[in-house]
Amino acid sequence: MATKAYDKSFREEVYQNVDSGEDVKLCMQCGVCGITCPLRGEMTHGPRQLWALIRAGKRDEVMNSPDIMLCTSCYSCKVRCPRGVKVIDVMHGLAHYALEQGIVPRKETAKFGKVFWNSIYKTGRVDETEVPMRYTMMAGPVHGIFAMLEMMDIGRALLSHKRMKFKLGPGLPPSKKIKGIRGLKKMLDKAAAMSPGKEG
Amino acid sequence: MGQTILVVGGGMSGVSAALEAAEAGYDVVLVEKNPYLGGRVAQLHQYFPKLCPPYCGLEINFKRIKSNPRIKLYTMSEVTGIEGGPGSYKVTINQLPRYVNERCTVCGKCADAVETTIPNPFDYGLGTIKAAYLPHELAYPFRYVIDPSIVETEDGAKAKEACPYDAVVLDDAAKEVTEEAGAIVWAAGWTPYDASKVEYYNFNSSPDIITNVQMERLATAGGPTGGKIVKLSNGEAPKKVAFIQCAGSRDVNHLPFCSTVCCLASLKQATYVREQLPEAEVTIYFIDIRAMDRNEDFYTKVKADEKISFVKSKIGLIEPGENGVLVLEGENTTTGERFKAEHDMVVLATGMQPNTDLSKIPADMVYDEYGFVQAAEGIFGAGTVRRPGEVHVSVQDGTSAALKAIQVVAGR
Repeated sequence: MATKAYDKSFREEVYQNVDSGEDVKLCMQCGVCGITCPLRGEMTHGPRQLWALIRAGKRDEVMNSPDIMLCTSCYSCKVRCPRGVKVIDVMHGLAHYALEQGIVPRKETAKFGKVFWNSIYKTGRVDETEVPMRYTMMAGPVHGIFAMLEMMDIGRALLSHKRMKFKLGPGLPPSKKIKGIRGLKKMLDKAAAMSPGKEG
Repeated sequence: MGQTILVVGGGMSGVSAALEAAEAGYDVVLVEKNPYLGGRVAQLHQYFPKLCPPYCGLEINFKRIKSNPRIKLYTMSEVTGIEGGPGSYKVTINQLPRYVNERCTVCGKCADAVETTIPNPFDYGLGTIKAAYLPHELAYPFRYVIDPSIVETEDGAKAKEACPYDAVVLDDAAKEVTEEAGAIVWAAGWTPYDASKVEYYNFNSSPDIITNVQMERLATAGGPTGGKIVKLSNGEAPKKVAFIQCAGSRDVNHLPFCSTVCCLASLKQATYVREQLPEAEVTIYFIDIRAMDRNEDFYTKVKADEKISFVKSKIGLIEPGENGVLVLEGENTTTGERFKAEHDMVVLATGMQPNTDLSKIPADMVYDEYGFVQAAEGIFGAGTVRRPGEVHVSVQDGTSAALKAIQVVAGR
C-alpha cells in the first residue's frame, strides 16, 4: 500500500517558533475544544483540526486559517481540554507568527487589532468612540459612514447611559491621555522588543 | 497472633486475598464497610466478555468463606487506626450497629411492619427500600439491616415487635475493636467518578442521563425496574441510546487516567439494550475503543450488530431539548464535521476513582499522583486501589497480595 509521507518541517517550525507551540503534541484529538467554542459556527477548522493540520504539515491551510484570528480568548476550550493544552496561547501564537511571516489570516481582525493597539499606545486607554470610528473608516469614509449609521441605535443608547463620549469624528476632540503615558510607552516598547521572534 | 493476616475490603480482590490466605493455613480477619460481601461485583448484571452473571462465582466464594473457620468477618466496619509495623500491627476497627443479630431468618416481617423508606444504596440511589432491609436478595451474611434513622422512632419499635425470633436489637451500638495482625492487605476498592462534576454533561438535568453503574442495576432482575431497561423519566423503553465514553476519564480536570474497563462495560451494556429492545438503536461515542487482547473479539462481535454504531467523538455538551429529548453535541474526528445528535437515553461511562484517593490508609503509605497505593512493606494494596482493572485482574491481584502477606507472616 502506498503511504504518504508527511512534511515534518512545518510542525517543527510551530514547536520552535510559536508561543506554547509544543502543546500541540499533547492533543489526543478528542474534539472537545471545537464543540466548546462559542464561535464554533464561524470557525472553519477549530483548534483540534488545526493541530491535526499542523502535524500533517499543512502550512498554507494553517497559516491562512481565519480561525487563528477569530479566537476571542474566552478560555472555554482551555478550561475543558482533557489534556490541558494551552489552546488560547497557541491560537494567538499562530496568529502572531503568521503576521510576522507577512500572512494576514483574517483582515478585519488584523485591522481592528491595529486600531486597538494604536489607541492604547497613544493614549493609554481604549477610547470607546475613537476605536470603532477609526476601524470603520479604515475601509474608506463612505463605508465608514454607512457602517456607523448601522450602529446608530447602539451608539445612542451608549451615549444616553454615559458609556461613550460624543465625537464629531476620529480625533475630534482628541482622546484624553492617561497620566504617565511616557512610562507606559516605555513598557510597551520593551515588551515588544522581548516578543518571540525579535529576540532569542 | 503474629501470623494473622488482616484484609480490608470484602469485594472481589479482598475476598480472593482472604480465601487464599486462609486456605493456605493462616488466620484471616476480613473487614468490610458494607453490610454484605461482594462489593461492586455483586451489583453487576453480567460480566464481559462471557455475559454470565457474577453471582455464580461470588456464591462459590461465599461458601468457601462460610466453611472456613480461619476467617473472622467484620461487616459494617472500617479500619480507623493502624499501629506497629510488619509482623506486629495493632488495628483499630470501628463497627457500626446492624440492629439485627444472628437469630435473623430473613423472614421479612420487620420490613413488612416498617413504613419508612430510604434510597437504596445498592441500586446507586435509583430506587427506594424499606428502612428494615436485606441489602440484596443474595446478600452474605444473609441477614437484615435496620437503618439507624428509624431506630428511635415508632417504626423501630414496630420492627422489633414484628420479629418472631427476637433478632431486632434496638439498643445495638457502635463498637471499637482491636485486632492484631502480622500483615495487612488493603483492598478498599473504587468509587464511580461523580458524573455531576463533568458540568457540560448536565447530569442532574434529566433522569434519562444515567451512569454505567446505574445501567447495570436497570438491566438486572433484582434492580429497581425488575430488569427492564426504561427511561426513568416516564418508564418507557428508550429508542435511541447513547453511550458516552471517558465521561470524566483521561481528562486532566477529572480522572487523568484510563480506567481500562469502561469501553468493555459500554460494549457489554449495548448488548443488554439490543437483547431487550430489538427496535432500539445504540450509538457509542468514543475517543478510542480500548478493548485489549481477548476482549477485542467481543468488540468485533458487538461491532457486527448493525444497530450499534460507533462515532469517534468526545461529546462536548448534553442539553435537554424539547419533549424530553437529549441533544448531544460533538465533533466527529473521523469526518471533521461538528454534529448535533438526538437521543432519548444517555449512559455516561464514568471511570474508577480509587477509594484510597478519597480516603487514605491510616498508616504511612506512598500513593501515586492519582491516589493509587504504591508498594509498601507489610501493608499491600490489592485490586482497584492499586490500579484500575476488571474483575479477573482483581482476583489475580488479591491472590498476589495474599502471597506477599504470607511472606511477611510466615515463620513468625
